[in-house]
Amino acid sequence: MANLCMLPEMKKSVSDSKVFVVGAGGIGCELLKNLVLSGFRNIKVIDLDTIDVSNLNRQFLFQKRHVGFSKATVAKESVLCLCPTANITAIHDSIFNPEYNMQYFKQFDLVMNALDNRSARNHVNRMCLAANVPLIESGSAGYLGQVTAIKRGVTECYECRPAPRQKSFPGCTIRNTPSEPIHCIVWAKYLFNQLFGEEDADQDVSPDTADPEANESGDNSKVKHQHAQVDAERKSTREWAKENEYNPSKIFNKLFAHDIRYLLSMDKLWTKRKPPTPVDWSEVESNSQTSVSEKDIQSVLSLEENAMLFSESIQNLKQKLENEDEDGILVWDKDDTPALNFAASAANIRAHIFGIETKSIFDVKSMAGNIIPAIATTNAIVAGLIVMQALCILNKQFDKCKSVFVRKCVNPAKKLLVPCCLDPPKPDCYVCAEKPEITIAVNIETFTVAELKDQFLKKHLGMLAPDVEILDGKGTILISSDEEDSGSFDFDRPLADFNIINGSRLRADDFLQNYDIIINLTHETKFENEEIFKVLEQTGVAQQQKSADVSATQDNTTVNNTNNDDDDDICILEENVASPEKKRKLQQSPNHDDHNSKAKRRKVSESQNDSSVLIID
Amino acid sequence: MAEKEKKYDRQLRLWGDHGQRDLENASVCLINVTATGTETLKNLILPGIGSFTIVDGGRISGQDAGNNFFLDPEKIGEYKSKVAMELLQELNPDVKGEYVEEDVSQLLERTPQFFTGFSVVISGSLTLTVLKKLAALLWPHKVPLVVCLSYGFLGYIRIAVEEHAVIESHPDNAHEDLRLDDPIEDFVKFCDSIDLESLDKKDHSHTPYLIILFKYLQTWKNDHNGQVPNTWKEKKQFKAAILAGVRKNAEGVPEDEENYDEAAKHVNTAFVPNKIPPELKAILDDHKCLNITDSSSNFWILANGLRQFVQNEGCGFLPLRGSLPDMTSDSERYVKLQNIYQAKAAHDMQIVSNYVSQACSSLGCGNGRVSERDLKRFCRNAHFLRVLRTRSLEEEYKQPSKAVIDEFTSDSNSDALWYVLWRAVEMFYTTHGKYPGIEDEELEMDVSRMKSFVKDLMKSWGIPGAIEAVSDDSLQEICRCGAAEIHSVAAYMGGVAAQECIKLITGQYVPVSGAYIYNGLKSTSLTLAV
Repeated sequence: MANLCMLPEMKKSVSDSKVFVVGAGGIGCELLKNLVLSGFRNIKVIDLDTIDVSNLNRQFLFQKRHVGFSKATVAKESVLCLCPTANITAIHDSIFNPEYNMQYFKQFDLVMNALDNRSARNHVNRMCLAANVPLIESGSAGYLGQVTAIKRGVTECYECRPAPRQKSFPGCTIRNTPSEPIHCIVWAKYLFNQLFGEEDADQDVSPDTADPEANESGDNSKVKHQHAQVDAERKSTREWAKENEYNPSKIFNKLFAHDIRYLLSMDKLWTKRKPPTPVDWSEVESNSQTSVSEKDIQSVLSLEENAMLFSESIQNLKQKLENEDEDGILVWDKDDTPALNFAASAANIRAHIFGIETKSIFDVKSMAGNIIPAIATTNAIVAGLIVMQALCILNKQFDKCKSVFVRKCVNPAKKLLVPCCLDPPKPDCYVCAEKPEITIAVNIETFTVAELKDQFLKKHLGMLAPDVEILDGKGTILISSDEEDSGSFDFDRPLADFNIINGSRLRADDFLQNYDIIINLTHETKFENEEIFKVLEQTGVAQQQKSADVSATQDNTTVNNTNNDDDDDICILEENVASPEKKRKLQQSPNHDDHNSKAKRRKVSESQNDSSVLIID
Repeated sequence: MAEKEKKYDRQLRLWGDHGQRDLENASVCLINVTATGTETLKNLILPGIGSFTIVDGGRISGQDAGNNFFLDPEKIGEYKSKVAMELLQELNPDVKGEYVEEDVSQLLERTPQFFTGFSVVISGSLTLTVLKKLAALLWPHKVPLVVCLSYGFLGYIRIAVEEHAVIESHPDNAHEDLRLDDPIEDFVKFCDSIDLESLDKKDHSHTPYLIILFKYLQTWKNDHNGQVPNTWKEKKQFKAAILAGVRKNAEGVPEDEENYDEAAKHVNTAFVPNKIPPELKAILDDHKCLNITDSSSNFWILANGLRQFVQNEGCGFLPLRGSLPDMTSDSERYVKLQNIYQAKAAHDMQIVSNYVSQACSSLGCGNGRVSERDLKRFCRNAHFLRVLRTRSLEEEYKQPSKAVIDEFTSDSNSDALWYVLWRAVEMFYTTHGKYPGIEDEELEMDVSRMKSFVKDLMKSWGIPGAIEAVSDDSLQEICRCGAAEIHSVAAYMGGVAAQECIKLITGQYVPVSGAYIYNGLKSTSLTLAV
C-alpha cells in the first residue's frame, strides 16, 4: 500500500537501491523494519554488539531468549520472519575493521548511521566523505532526537562542528581532594580497575603526593620521605589485595582509614578545605544479617549499610575473578550488579569521609555508567524521520533534506519538530575541507612521537592508522602505520630528535579513511593543567558546493555525542537539542511568540548545561 | 537488581517507579489494525503496559501485510485482530494481549460498556458516525480517546479527554524556590548569626551563596526603599557590589572565592518573585477546586487543601518546595541550610495535609484516601500543576475553535491547512463512501470534489474567503496519496501517539491539547487546540 503513494520511478529507485545501516540498536531496529516496509530490498546491517536485557524495553526485534546473541544477526532474522522477501545481510563486526574500506562503502547508494558513540560516527563520516556516498546521521536521548543528512561538498560533515568539551577531572582532585559526588564515583571506578580490572597507571587511587597544592612552599622533606615509602608499598594495589586474599576489612581500612590519614598529613591541602574524617572498619562493622542488596536501589544507604555492601560486593567480585583464568580480569559494567554495588558503596563511603552528599545506587549507576535514558517512542520517531530523508535522497531531491530536531515538549510556536536548513561545509573543517591544515603548539623538546600518534592523531583527529611524513623536502617518514605492529620504531623519543623545529610541517595520512592533513608545529613550553598540545588554528578550502540551494551558514551548533561505549542510542547533549532555534536558522520565520520566549529558553539551556550528563571515560 | 528493573532501567530514569507502576496497571484498547495503530501499540507494549485489546472484524489482505510489521503475510485471510495481537504480545511477555474479531460498530451496539473500562482507547480512522458515537460514549466515563492515523504524508492525532490532571509536568525551566523575597524565619536568624567580616579565610570562601545574596540584599533594600534590584542596570550594580566583597590578599589581589562568583551568577534568577503562575491560579479558582465532593478526584481534594494553605497560612505563597541547589559550602552550613528549608517544607506540607484530612472527614471519605507520598509529590510540584481539558468531538464538529480559525487564517503556510483538508476528506468519505483519489481515473474529479467540500467547510466556519489559502497543490497531494498509509509516516506517528498515551497513563508530562499534525513532506509539525 505504501507504494501507492510513490511514483513508479521512485518505487524502483528504492527497491534497486543498496543501503548500509550502521548499528542495530534502538534506532537500528526501528530503521530496519521501516526500510523493509518502505520497499527497500538490499540492506546490509553491521553491529559489533550483543543483546543485553536493558535493550529489551525498546529494541523490539530482540527478545529475552536472544540475550547474548549478535544484534545484527538477530535483527535480520526477526525482520525476515515477517518480510521474507527482503535481502538483508547481517554483519557481526566492528565498523572500524579495514575490510570496510572506501571501495566497500562505494557499493552503497546511501549509508544510515544508528550509532551510539562519537568515534564510530566520526569514522563513518570520513568513509562516506571518501566514498562520496550520502549519509544520514541520527541520535536520540530520552525524549530528544535528531536526524540530519550529510553529503560531501554540499552540507556540513559530522565533524564540521567542534566536539563538545569533555568533562575530565584533574588527577589530584580524584585522588586527594574530591568535592563532588562524581569525583568519588570516578575514584570508585578506578578502584575497581585497580583491584579487579585492567590496571591503568593513569587511574591511581592512592594519595597523590605530587599534588602541587600540597607542595606550595616550605619544607617538604617529611612528606617526600613518606611519599617514597607509600609508593613502594603501593607498587601494585592488585598484588597487595591478592596477598591479603581480598579481605574486605583490610581493604576497607587501607582505603578509608590509612590512606585518609595519610592525606591528612598533607596539611597544606586542608588550610582552605574541610579535612576528611577517616573511618575504621571497626566503627562501621555491623552485626545485622539482612543483606543490603535487597534494598530499594533508589534509597540512600547509611554509612554502615554502604560498608556492608562494600564488603559483600568484594566477596562477590573476588569469586568472579577466581572463576577467570590466571591473568583474567573483570570489566566494569554498570549493568553488572556486584560491580555497580562495589562502585556505589566505595564512592559513598568516600563521599561520607569528605563530607560530600551520598547518592542512591540508582543515581550512581546513572553517573558512573553515563546512562542516557532511552525509550521506544523517541527511537520510532527518529527512525521514521530517517526514512523520510532517505526517500528524498533517493528521489534526487537532496535540497529537501533537513536537519530535524525532536523536542521534549511542544515549543511556544506549538511545534514538536524543529526542521532546520542544512548548512554548507565549514571551510576550516579539518575533516571535509580540501587541503585541511591544522596548527598546533607542542613542546618539541618533550612531545614524543608516541604522544603525537596516540594523543593527537588518534584521539584528537580520530585517525585509525596514521602515516606521518616530515615535509622537509626529503620525505622523511616519522610514523609508518606498517611499522606500528613490528614495534621497531622508537616512539618514546621527542620530536626534536627528528630535526623537527618550530615551524616544521608534517603530513599525516590515514589510508583507510582516505584522509590526509597538514600539521604545522609551533614550539611552546607553557601548558595549562595536564595539556600537552594546543590547537591554534584550522584552515582549508571548503569542498566545492555542488548544489545552489543550500542556505547560508550559521555558526556553532554541534551534533554532539557522548564518548562512551554505552549500548544506548544517542548522540545529543547540551544546547543543540534543547533549543536548536537558539543558533540555527529556522526554516520558517519565527513568530512573535517565539521571539519572546528566546531569552527564556536561552536561560534554560544554560542551566541544562550545568546539569547535563557527565562524561567520564 | 530485579530483572524487571534491568529491563526497564533506561526508561525508569524518565518517569520513575511510580510512572512505571501506572503503566503496568494500564489497559489499552486499539480499534482497527492499521500500521499506525500497531506501531503505537508496539511502543506501549515495549515499555510494559499491563494489557492491550485489539478490536477489528477484518481479515488480512496482501496489502495490509505489505505495510504492517505485525501482520504475517503467510496468514492472509485470518483475523487481523488475532494475528496482530499474537505478534505484538511476543514483544514483551509481561504484557497481556487480547483480541475481539468483531467490527467496532457492532460491538458499540451490542456491549458499549466493553469500551469504558480501558485506561485509553486508541482508534484509527473510523467513519464519522462511528467515531462520534465512540467519542460520546467515552467522554462521560473520562476515558481518553486517542485518534491517530497516517494519510499519505499527513499524520494526525486527536486527543479527546474531558479533564486530565498532571502533577509532575517536568518543566524545563523551573526556578529554584529560595524565597529570598519572603525569607524563612530560621533562615534570617541563621544569616544574622554569621558576620562575613569576622570569618576566617576558609569560612569566608565557604559561606553558601544564598547567605551572601541575602546579606547583600538587606543592604541593598536599606538603600533602595525596601526594593529588590529589578532592572538590568540595578542587577548589574548589585552584582558588582557582591563581587566587591571578595576578600583580597596582602597585595590587594582578590582571592579565588567561588561562592561569591556563584552569588553573582544567581542574581538574575534568585529574585524571581515567588508568584503563583496563571495556570495554577486557574486551577485554584476552578469550580472543581472550590466545590469538592466525595466523588472528587484526589487531585482536586489536594488542590482544595493547597488553596486553603495559600489563602491562609501561606499568605498568598505556595508551600515551600524544600530543595536547595548545589553550592560551594562547607558541609556544616550547607546541611544547616538544607535542614532549615526541609523543615519549613515539611511544616507547610503538614498544614496542607491537615486541610486535606479535614476535607476528607467532612466529605465522609476515609482519611487514608490521599497517601503521604502523593501529598508530598503534590506539594513539591505545586508550582507546576496542570489541568488539560480538550474540546469534545461533538463540540469540534459543531463549530471550529478560535485557535483553529486564528491559526488557519493568520499564517498561509500553517500546517493547520492539513487539518482542514482532513476534515474535508471525512466529508468526502461520508458522502461517497470511499476516499478521494482511490481510483486513478477519478483523480481529477476527486480534486474538484474535495475543493467544494473545503468550500462548504469554510462557509460553515464563517470564513468563506479562506478557501484562497487552500492551494491546488495541496488538494492534488491529498487526493494523489489515495488514502495510502506510508510506513515511515506510520512509524513516526506511532512514536508520537504512544508518547501521548504514556503521558495520559502516567499523569506525567503535559499531553498535546487537542490535535497534533505532522507534515511528512516538510518534516514540520503543529499542535492545535481543535
